[in-house]
Amino acid sequence: MQTDTLVSIDGVIKRFGSFVAVQRMDLDIRKGEFLAIMGSSGCGKTTTLRMLAGLEAPSEGVIRLAGQPINDLPTWARDTPMVWQSLALFPFLNVRENVEFALKMRGVGREERRQRAEQWLERMQIAEFADRNIAQLSGGQRQRVALARSLVVEPQILLLDEPLSALDAALKVRMQSLLKNLQRQTGITFVYVTHSQSEAFSMADRVVIMSRGKIEQIGTPQDIYRAPRTRFVADFLGSSNIFDGTVSRILPDGVELDTPSGRLRQTGGSPEGRPGTGRPATLTVLDTRMRLSRTPPPDGTNVVPVRVVGEEFVGATATVYLETEHGQEIRVQKGHEELADLSIQPGQALFAHWSPEDGHLLTQA
Amino acid sequence: MSDDGAQDINRSRAVDWALRAYVVAAYAFVFAPILASFVFSFNSDRFPSLPLGQFSLDWYRAVAADPLVWEGLRNTLLVGVVAGVISTALGFGAAYTDYRYQFFGKQVYLALALLPPTIPVIIMGLAMLAFLSRMDLSGNALSVIISHVVICAPFAMAIVRLRLSQMDPALEPAAWNLGASEWQTMRHVVMPFTRPAILGALFITMAVSFDEFAIAWFVSGLNETLPVKVLGFLQGQVSPRINAIGSFVFVTSMTLVILAQVLLAGRDTTARRASGEQE
Amino acid sequence: MRRHLSLYGLTFSLPLLIWQLVFFVFPLCFLVALSFWTVRNFAMRPDFDTVNWVTMYGRKVFWQAYATTFALAAVASVLTSVLAFPCSYAIAFKMSDRARRWAVFLMVIPFFTSYLVRVYSWQIFLSDAGILNVLFGWVGLGPYGMLNTVGATMIGYLTLSFPLVVLLQLFSLVFIDRTLIEAAHNLRCGRLRTVFAVIIPSARVGLVIAALFCFILSFGDFVSPVYLGGGDPTTLSILITDTTKSGQQWPRAAVIALTMIGTLMVVAFLSVRFAYKGRNA
Repeated sequence: MQTDTLVSIDGVIKRFGSFVAVQRMDLDIRKGEFLAIMGSSGCGKTTTLRMLAGLEAPSEGVIRLAGQPINDLPTWARDTPMVWQSLALFPFLNVRENVEFALKMRGVGREERRQRAEQWLERMQIAEFADRNIAQLSGGQRQRVALARSLVVEPQILLLDEPLSALDAALKVRMQSLLKNLQRQTGITFVYVTHSQSEAFSMADRVVIMSRGKIEQIGTPQDIYRAPRTRFVADFLGSSNIFDGTVSRILPDGVELDTPSGRLRQTGGSPEGRPGTGRPATLTVLDTRMRLSRTPPPDGTNVVPVRVVGEEFVGATATVYLETEHGQEIRVQKGHEELADLSIQPGQALFAHWSPEDGHLLTQA
Repeated sequence: MSDDGAQDINRSRAVDWALRAYVVAAYAFVFAPILASFVFSFNSDRFPSLPLGQFSLDWYRAVAADPLVWEGLRNTLLVGVVAGVISTALGFGAAYTDYRYQFFGKQVYLALALLPPTIPVIIMGLAMLAFLSRMDLSGNALSVIISHVVICAPFAMAIVRLRLSQMDPALEPAAWNLGASEWQTMRHVVMPFTRPAILGALFITMAVSFDEFAIAWFVSGLNETLPVKVLGFLQGQVSPRINAIGSFVFVTSMTLVILAQVLLAGRDTTARRASGEQE
Repeated sequence: MRRHLSLYGLTFSLPLLIWQLVFFVFPLCFLVALSFWTVRNFAMRPDFDTVNWVTMYGRKVFWQAYATTFALAAVASVLTSVLAFPCSYAIAFKMSDRARRWAVFLMVIPFFTSYLVRVYSWQIFLSDAGILNVLFGWVGLGPYGMLNTVGATMIGYLTLSFPLVVLLQLFSLVFIDRTLIEAAHNLRCGRLRTVFAVIIPSARVGLVIAALFCFILSFGDFVSPVYLGGGDPTTLSILITDTTKSGQQWPRAAVIALTMIGTLMVVAFLSVRFAYKGRNA
């Protein structure tokens, strides 16, 4: 075990009856990192978080906090506070009483309780609302109360279960930076469960992507974005075009694939795990790395004839939806200027192409 | 019929008015006996009818002068309060069990908890009398309390359960997660949250017990138990005193019910305001 | 976490269970045992003798009372349901939210008035010199003998069940998806046809349960048949009290009570099955 590991999840399995929510999981969470666990609903991310909090007991395996096994500790005997999706603020207590709750349960005296709560109320900039009812607060203020309530015990780790999902887009962005700053300043380990890619990628140091109770990939946001390891991850992120094919030739620094869209070449990346000739392989290309033109480019590598299906504008960029002759969908994302001279019309025939080093080969099918 | 729109609208308006008149008639039917009883309790005639006799408090005086009535009132209050408290405690436990736990045989448990009010009173009375007299429990206030708790606890359970269903399922786990044991959570989270419902249940069960006892009480003697009274109903002496006692009991019960209503509604508005702001 | 019952959980779940077992289930079971006891010289004695069952089931009076009670309760539940429906319908679909809340509140009030007081009050209306006959007299009609008739018993049953039936019907009606009704209108289903083709089928469970409650209440009621119906024809509840009073014949009363419970269980089971028929398809 590394010395900078705070939590180690060791061979943990969680079953509910015959349903396996989490399949044999191994994961180390480092001290002071911001870890996001991401996946669609039912992937086991919340169950994992609840096991860390002590709200579910692992069916098998060991969870250690700072080296100590905590499997048998009930949730009230661990310092693993959680921020809930619904926030779960106590509606019959005012803001101050909510923040003091954990201290009161630990038998901290009235005076100290008040002082420590005051610190966090000020830190979260909600001191002026201290005597208000929860019902009188706005969404953002409630978020701050929930954070203060959990952090007042000054834990080593904070668990967050999609706390921002109820907020509107603008407030969400503000809360994201607040969370990120808070995490940096306090050095407390944050474990943040979300289904939102933008939340995970904008805040986390490392992202865990889960599917059907299994970890699909762990890495920094950049790594995962550029080099998805599995088809699931590529699909889930939704920013890559995916080509299935068979390896027809091994190149010195890459491979050549035969796909329904033609012969495609990929270079770069680690040679490790590269499939041999004749084996099935999957190539992904980020939609921002694809180029479009009216005539095929002269060098002729990685050119796919396509037809325009539609176009969508989001802010400064546009996404063009295309289709190959075989009916495969292709997305290309570009700035408006780059697309201007193409004067895109539905049904128009174009050529999509990219350079071999912009392709990425999945190491797992 | 459908040849033009205006006619269609006229027709629907007629239907609406007819329905409104029907609703008024229905409420008149429901409230006629209640109001009549109230009015005739202040009427001097021995055999009440129209035209009204003179305004009189005779029946109230007659009731108030009867020492048995006072003893009965004391019994009623004693039974009502004790049965209310026990029913509310038991009903709260059952409601919390239903809210929190899944277990084998839960359907049976819930059936047991909720079924008693559906058994005809006369059968309950017969069964309780037969059983309690075997256990030498009949003939005193205790037996009435026991029977009333059987009938009232389901009401308390329903009221508390309704409140618990408004509680965020994460609230209890959140308290545990913040270091509160299950008992502490019960004391500091579940009970405060359900307090309006607990008080509401207390008043409602008291009101139910109050009326139930009243039925038995003024038709037969005072020292007899409910089941005996239930069986002895038919020999009862009916007189306008019934109106006086009935009105008194009605006013008392309604006070309890309105109190309960205010407690439950007061919380509701805060909750509604909260969810309104959240959106 | 920990969904199974712990000491903590049992503290909350057990008391009611024990109470209802000891003071509800056990007395009902005792009733079963009681029905096999024998009575000699006005004293009951534990026994296992089917004589009470044989005696009661061999009596024409018993079966007459049974048929009467069943028929009265059945008529009461149909009558109450039919009379209550327009009222519930109007409250559910024709009133503002505020008016509806008031309507519900008013319908709850009767539950907190003594049923017996209300029945006594009906006597004031229905008796030979009562309010209604006085009113009829003013327009030169009557007097009519209204008290101590089956009609008066029905009024008593209505007094007993009408508010409950309205509330139960109402709760099933307000949960009907309004768009269903608009869709029906949109598909040229007329107003009245919408009621029968859309609203009643959608609210079937609630309507049947309401009728069932009316049946249960009327079937076991003894106040209306005695005080408004004059005790004639004899119902099962009257028979129970008569039997109990005549020489400690509690075992026979137990037979009647158990027969009533059995009947109610069968009726309840059949209605619930009817209510949910086709729901799970």
